[in-house]
Amino acid sequence: MIVFDGVSFSYGDRAILTDLHFSIRADERVAVLGGSGEGKTTILKLIMGLMRPDSGMIFIEGEDITGKTEEALRDVRMKFSIVFQEGALFDSLNVKENVAFCLREYTALSEEEIDVKVRDLLRRVGVEQALEFMPEELSGGMHRRVAIARSLAAFEPKMFLYDEPTSGLDPVNADNICKLILDLSRNGKGFIIVTHKVFDALKVANRFIFLQDGKILFDGDREQLLHSPIPDIQIFISELQYKEEAKNV
Amino acid sequence: MNVKALVSELQNFYLLSFHGLLGLLRRPFYLRDAIEQMDYAGAGSFFIIILVSLFVGMALSLQLAAELSVLGLKMYTGKVVGISIIREIGPVAAALVFTGRVGSGMASELGSMVLGHQVDTLRVFGVDPVKKLVTPRIVSALVMLPALTLIGDAASLLGGYYIAVFVSHQSGNVYWSSIRDVLDFENVFSGSVKPFIFGYLIASISCYMGLSAKGGAIGLRGATTRAVVLSIIMIIVADFILTRILLYALGFSV
Repeated sequence: MIVFDGVSFSYGDRAILTDLHFSIRADERVAVLGGSGEGKTTILKLIMGLMRPDSGMIFIEGEDITGKTEEALRDVRMKFSIVFQEGALFDSLNVKENVAFCLREYTALSEEEIDVKVRDLLRRVGVEQALEFMPEELSGGMHRRVAIARSLAAFEPKMFLYDEPTSGLDPVNADNICKLILDLSRNGKGFIIVTHKVFDALKVANRFIFLQDGKILFDGDREQLLHSPIPDIQIFISELQYKEEAKNV
Repeated sequence: MNVKALVSELQNFYLLSFHGLLGLLRRPFYLRDAIEQMDYAGAGSFFIIILVSLFVGMALSLQLAAELSVLGLKMYTGKVVGISIIREIGPVAAALVFTGRVGSGMASELGSMVLGHQVDTLRVFGVDPVKKLVTPRIVSALVMLPALTLIGDAASLLGGYYIAVFVSHQSGNVYWSSIRDVLDFENVFSGSVKPFIFGYLIASISCYMGLSAKGGAIGLRGATTRAVVLSIIMIIVADFILTRILLYALGFSV
């Protein structure tokens, strides 16, 4: 589904990604791990064609998207459902209007049909009660749930992309979001989750890519990650050891 | 900033402002967004424009009455106030107030949408951010700034009247008849063209700066500041150029 072939990207003089090679199947559950500023979100934006690489090629279902126009990229973007960090809900619209945004843009559904569809989507993500709320009235967890509902309303995606879906959430809400992510991929649809929270990544993913200094430091499964001898990865997964120790206190 | 970056910025600004205007002619038309923007820009600025214009008119009338009475030409206060307000000070004062209130709002709102990934979300949903965000703001500025200028002109003339009659003890009839005299095609046309150009400049610059915002709260602050400063500079420069062109086109000799 997704192939990165020698992709490099920089902001001005600062290299973010350097000669990146990897491929991801549509049914894979991938977590991209790494510290802040390592280019994790950039990878999602490159996949969606929101940014263009300095060099290299990005193939989506065998098609190079790097030279495509904004108009042509629309078809590529419809294959994915992306949830940005903190939800990125439209401030000026309430929850119902946020979720109904694409329905109004692209369908000729009546007001009643839109209402039914929006309620159904919000019920699916567990925030039906927030229908008339404005984004600033929502908690962090509700924000992400509404954003997921909105992304589902858009198109029928082949794959989900999540940018730090649990960051800033308390453990209960983070766990609920993880369950929702797993629930949505139950029918074999894969996802890429970008996060620095290794604990949450282990709950949902079965493949882990670790980025450092713009390069892939590690690419493997859960067991390989947990037993990796790479010192930086050991530091990263030490969060898990603290959690285990805390259980014994 | 090096020359290459400057040229690139100018090119991007030109493309954005051009596409923003072109959005008026291409579907879909975001009428609801345009009306919301007009409400924010117009209704929200109404009382500020009246207040500012009233005091501008009073200050101008006071200065002129003081100077003209020395020359024994106090009866011309209304005429000079009228010409100054309608042709020059009214459009510029309204544009400056509009920049401070609406332009800064446009830049900070769009900047915040960029930093909060809301603009990326629009692109993901296949919505052209320029058509959805920039065109309605240009429309609102093109409609509301001329309207506000008209209201501001009226308030300024009223302020001038108050000073001329109640402070300078001139005849109210003479003041209004002087104002009527200056309301000819040349003066009204000269004062009517400017708000459209100023509105387009303010909306384009503010939207461009907002959509170029980078780097969190500091970046947002910088984008808003640049939008206001650049808009003010461009209003003053454009005012001079337009005045020169209009004087020539309307057959005034300098």
